[in-house]
Amino acid sequence: MEPTMEPEGLESLAWMLWSAEVTGEACAPPREVAESLSIGDAYAIQRINVARRLASEARPRLVGHKIGVTSEAVQRWLKVGEPDFGALLSTMEVPSGGETPMRGLLQPRVEGEIAFVLERELPTEGVGVADVLRATAFVLPAIEIIDSRVRGWDITIVDTIADNASSARFVLGTQPVMLREIDPSLIGMALRKNGEVVSSGAGAASLGNPLRAVAWLANRLGALGERLEAGQVILSGALGPVCPVAAGEVVEVQLGARWRASARFVE
Amino acid sequence: MGLNHEEIRALAQQLDDAARHARPIPMLSLSSPLSLKDAYLIQRAAILLRAQRDERLVGMKMGLTSRAKMQQVGVHSPIYGHLTHAMRLMDGGTLQRADHCHPRVEPELAFLLKRDLRGPVSPAEALLAVEGVCAALEVIDSRYQDFKFTLPDVVADNASSSRFVLGSVVQSPAAFDISNLGMIMERNGVTAEIGSSAAIFDHPARSLAALANLLSEVGESLKAGQIVLAGGATAAIHLHPGDHVRLLVDGLGSAELRVA
Repeated sequence: MEPTMEPEGLESLAWMLWSAEVTGEACAPPREVAESLSIGDAYAIQRINVARRLASEARPRLVGHKIGVTSEAVQRWLKVGEPDFGALLSTMEVPSGGETPMRGLLQPRVEGEIAFVLERELPTEGVGVADVLRATAFVLPAIEIIDSRVRGWDITIVDTIADNASSARFVLGTQPVMLREIDPSLIGMALRKNGEVVSSGAGAASLGNPLRAVAWLANRLGALGERLEAGQVILSGALGPVCPVAAGEVVEVQLGARWRASARFVE
Repeated sequence: MGLNHEEIRALAQQLDDAARHARPIPMLSLSSPLSLKDAYLIQRAAILLRAQRDERLVGMKMGLTSRAKMQQVGVHSPIYGHLTHAMRLMDGGTLQRADHCHPRVEPELAFLLKRDLRGPVSPAEALLAVEGVCAALEVIDSRYQDFKFTLPDVVADNASSSRFVLGSVVQSPAAFDISNLGMIMERNGVTAEIGSSAAIFDHPARSLAALANLLSEVGESLKAGQIVLAGGATAAIHLHPGDHVRLLVDGLGSAELRVA
């Protein structure tokens, strides 16, 4: 998974995506700019922009990770057999029940997910579901607002990885759910837009069970010399189809019977 | 100007023959102009034919309860059909493929009523008439060629209903929130569809209330002891001989069928 491109090439693609986000004008797909772009290159580009953000004036903190491409449908669409991941920064969090400005978003979409909050760090290899269960403090209902800095969402797997796995914002519910209270593969997810159900599913939509998605991430990061730390938030993958969103819309995720989070999108 | 009594009976007979011989027919609307009102009259005439063969009415089903399906068909209201005792399969029972035209199965919830339910009612009032809720599989099988139809056609065809299986775990909705139950439908151990009960008319209780309200428009009501299939939570899947289909519903166990 080492990058194959020269550092200058990686730097210029990272700059292209960064500029798209800052100016609000989507760019060409990275794969069209550099035809040999590998998955290793794409993660290297992601790391450049995460580092750039961490060093920016707002001084965000790395608060966790998102896992993407966890459903069979999306894996088929992107012609891959495994998920991808991106970084979550403190500046990407939007309070539940609050306003989510469209400013800074290009072509946002929303997904309903389960967020894991870790009580302790996870090992870096051979991680299984029991490790994830032991390391998780609680889970929360979450809305992930994804976005693509690539024009018209014209992406392949390398384009989205380079673009921080198309992550943009996230909203967390505030009532913790203990994993012993729920069946993570069978818990229902409903996403409502202005009160109407627009997407629904269950935990199994993420790799068969969201615990497996988190285990995958721990192993994958471990192979790169990184690890999942205590206190981190892991968005474990969409549990239903993704939906476009526009200013004026209120989006609510319901997890199981009782757990909710919401976001109101404003200009 | 609707169809006359004789025409309605003749069309019901065509659909009844198609169902009994598993031989699909062309859409009725190709040869007769069909209103929605006529369609329900044909559906009731066909149920009468079943009653003459000693099939007892055991409940009702709702169809087109998901936003996606209503948009697909271009309607704003669900439709309903009738369930007879001969359409019931035991949990884990076997469906004969040869008895069907082109069967598909969808994951649902079923309500078991403890009281008569007469519309107009709100979802909350409708739930008070429910004794229990359970997982259910509904086998749908259009009696039309290629599973293609207009809205009146499918209504005349008893909303495509063919067989149903109730799961063996029953919960009272007074103590068990049914608004967002995860559902996984497997075929031969492999996940085929994943959904939530929230996809059933945004809340399964809304589907039950809508049924009571549709029936009240024609002076009918639901009766104590009846079964109501609330509508599909995901797309339907095709059934083939040898298939074992299992539905898992959060907190409601499973419902299963086999195909021979």
